[in-house]
Amino acid sequence: MSFYEELTRDVEPDQPTKDQPTKVSPFPLMPEGQAVDMGTAADGTPLIDPRIFDSPEFFRNPYPYYRILRDHYPVYHDKLHNCYWVTRYDDITECYFDDEGFNTIPKGSSSGVLGNTQLELSGVEHRRRRNLYGQHLVGKSLQNRIPSIERLAREMITAWDVAAAEGSPYVIDEGGRRTVELGHMFANEFPIRVVCEVLGFPREAQADFYYWYNSMMSGLGGSETHKQGVQARQHLEDYVAGIVEARREQPTYLYDGEGNKLGKDIISKLCETKLDGDYLSTEEITSNIALIVGGGGETTRGAIMNLWCLLLRHPDQYTAVLADDDNWNCAFHEMLRHSTSIGGQPRHNTFDVEMHGVHVPAGSLMNMVDFSANHDERIFAEPETFNIFRNDLYSGKLLRSGYRKDGKCSHMAFGVGPHLCPGAWISHQEAVVGSRILAGYMRNPCIREDKMPRDIDGVRPAPMGLVSVRDLWIEFDLQG
Amino acid sequence: MTEQIPVEGRNGVVIRQQRSGTGEGYRTYEVHQRERVGQSTEKIKPIQLLSDDYLHNPYPLLEILRENYPCYRDWLGNCYWMSRYNDVTSVFTDDANFETRPKLWFYGMETFGRDLGAYPEVVTAFAQGMDNHVEEVATRLSRAMLAAGNADLARDFAARLPLEILAGTLGISNADREHFFSRYWQAQRGTGWRPDLQVKGRVALTELADYFTGLLAQRKKTDDANLLSVLAGLDVEGGPVTGADVAVTLLERDHETVHGATANLWYLLLTHEAEYAKARSAPRMMKLAYLEALRYCPPVLGAPRFTRHEVERFGRLLPQGALVVCSAAAANRDPRVFTNPNSFVVDRPDLCQREPRGQYRADGLASGIALGLGKPSIHPAVPEDRPRSLYALTRDTVVTASMVLVENIPDLELREGATPGLRALTIGEMHTCWQLPVRVG
Repeated sequence: MSFYEELTRDVEPDQPTKDQPTKVSPFPLMPEGQAVDMGTAADGTPLIDPRIFDSPEFFRNPYPYYRILRDHYPVYHDKLHNCYWVTRYDDITECYFDDEGFNTIPKGSSSGVLGNTQLELSGVEHRRRRNLYGQHLVGKSLQNRIPSIERLAREMITAWDVAAAEGSPYVIDEGGRRTVELGHMFANEFPIRVVCEVLGFPREAQADFYYWYNSMMSGLGGSETHKQGVQARQHLEDYVAGIVEARREQPTYLYDGEGNKLGKDIISKLCETKLDGDYLSTEEITSNIALIVGGGGETTRGAIMNLWCLLLRHPDQYTAVLADDDNWNCAFHEMLRHSTSIGGQPRHNTFDVEMHGVHVPAGSLMNMVDFSANHDERIFAEPETFNIFRNDLYSGKLLRSGYRKDGKCSHMAFGVGPHLCPGAWISHQEAVVGSRILAGYMRNPCIREDKMPRDIDGVRPAPMGLVSVRDLWIEFDLQG
Repeated sequence: MTEQIPVEGRNGVVIRQQRSGTGEGYRTYEVHQRERVGQSTEKIKPIQLLSDDYLHNPYPLLEILRENYPCYRDWLGNCYWMSRYNDVTSVFTDDANFETRPKLWFYGMETFGRDLGAYPEVVTAFAQGMDNHVEEVATRLSRAMLAAGNADLARDFAARLPLEILAGTLGISNADREHFFSRYWQAQRGTGWRPDLQVKGRVALTELADYFTGLLAQRKKTDDANLLSVLAGLDVEGGPVTGADVAVTLLERDHETVHGATANLWYLLLTHEAEYAKARSAPRMMKLAYLEALRYCPPVLGAPRFTRHEVERFGRLLPQGALVVCSAAAANRDPRVFTNPNSFVVDRPDLCQREPRGQYRADGLASGIALGLGKPSIHPAVPEDRPRSLYALTRDTVVTASMVLVENIPDLELREGATPGLRALTIGEMHTCWQLPVRVG
């Protein structure tokens, strides 16, 4: 081909014109599990066009692309987004454990909204702070909270009767069956209520928290909603700062169902916690409260929604869960492996690194993709299949060190290593305890598929993709 | 002292860590404290900077950055955008804190060949080649346009001009030129983010290397004074010059400014009648038109720099390895520096009319930033033993070629009904006029 022809071809065809610019994402929506053809190298290796990562197609149907990355580009240098994508389970765990070599300098979008949090710290600085907060979300502290988690769940479910009577669009009684949209009527608010309860905030504040939380979440995208997110964070901070100051003077306590004192609430305890001989500052406490509010909401909401969606679409597995209470744990973990709410964590390599032949200069952004690790067929057989009975997934007690023994591996939804989600245990309890109560209330449940979004073929359910199920319409027997 | 500790991973992965042994390179809290900006950047979405709007007309978006977020943290592109004139020039000239990564790095082929572009003999040969061939090439291209009647100035003149000059400089035969041009074009386009172009570019670069390997073997036996002979005879540390070295030397050199500036200059002249009249009146005025075109519509919109270490500037602490995008397009329209920056004025009184040497304000006025041409020469005057800088060479080449065009086609004008515009083919590539249909008499 002559240079003339070459240039003409490069300039003319398929290029947007001044009047008709094409869309940013020129990728068609594909059947679930199939990747768009983005071209191939001479040896047949499929290519990855990095614009795919910003496309609607990727958000709904990410897994075939992650498979290409794992198989052909385990460390993919994305020059459009100036980062590297790390997609294999083993590589990601390796990096998570090495928090000196792969640090957490913030360059992402979250810090402006969430403030200074332990997400951005590494090493000993991180460890000390994490333990200060994390200890209140595990073990006996957590066990103490389970009765109130159960109470909150029951309260929300009881309110369905009132909502139905008042003509709520989200609770509809028809022909002896009740249809509920689980998000609006339960999952959206439940985790925030639990967080407020655990942190010891007054019940009147829960509505404000819900608003602040939603604003902060939508502000994470860094666009026009960012300002609202930053403002919400400021309001949250002002509110919490007032509470902190008050509890420095007058600590408050948690009580069990019978009114017995269980101990000081988290904020009162943090007020008397010292680090390097100094009390924690109000700013330090409020930032991490913001993180708990932010981190404890969407993840658990998504977990409850996805868990119910997956179980009800696999009725045999739902039956097994009803038959054996322990299966709730398996279902919870398999759901997190199959459709986790958190995609991964960014890291920055402290030193020059070479992985899979790719040289990564120090200070580069390396995105560890938990979504992909959880679907790594090197670890989990038939990774796209939801199967609570799979024998390669570890479903036991959550371990900071992860689990990898006898052919079983822990999933990556909470990460592993020093930055393992401190809310993992409480999130587990919320989802499982809440779901058990829901299961006890909803008899013969099924998804109202007629109200659920369809896939591109107009027939199959829309894939879950990178975002959790937004609305989940469940129908069940109305009890007399 | 640094020591390398190989760390073997499980997945057949070798992670090689370069440690200083002193615990350095491990600092997060300070960065984290200062990153607490609380500042909202809601006036722009990062995705807009990757959009078709940006490809066509980046100026409105860059104005938002420049006037609101002078050091904008773009989390989607994982970079910081510099958009004010003084900031851009200060980063661009600061080699102590910011590094330039070679095009080969973007290919992931750092060891493919050596860039010999800094050797004085090579600099001189490039300069002589440009000076010796520009008139001949411009005349030939102009006459071909005349002969064809309906011509496209962007494609038939601006795009070919630098390639023909380069071919002449290298002594490439007429028979080989089409082959060379298309490989060179593909190799340059492949340095961006598009994997399909990168795959083609890698192949093209390899083919160029093979082609020059053959030529080098022949050239050593002759004593032509062209660039290739100079390269062939170069005494370089690390062994004789190879075909790959030649290909890399060509790759790393600016390929966009002669092409892009010629096309942009003529696009602007043909769409601004009064300015066109001024420019064609004398070579000096054509030079001013070129300088103003480079300011008003720089073909190289921005240049990437990476922090060598943590850098505290612009009210931020930029972590080591951060990508800083110096936006010439934004800086060249900074109203703090240029009056009515969004107007194309050939004899603009506030634009430096001399080459920036040592600094960007050689005569006290600001120059348009032309990132492809590198930072201003460190020599305050042209040393006697060196040729003119790339900045001066490029300027003279475009001005000479443009005057040849005026002489050969005195009544050059836009073809009736044509609505040309500027755009980049993809994000990061040159922003220029690709189709400029003209009537030649």
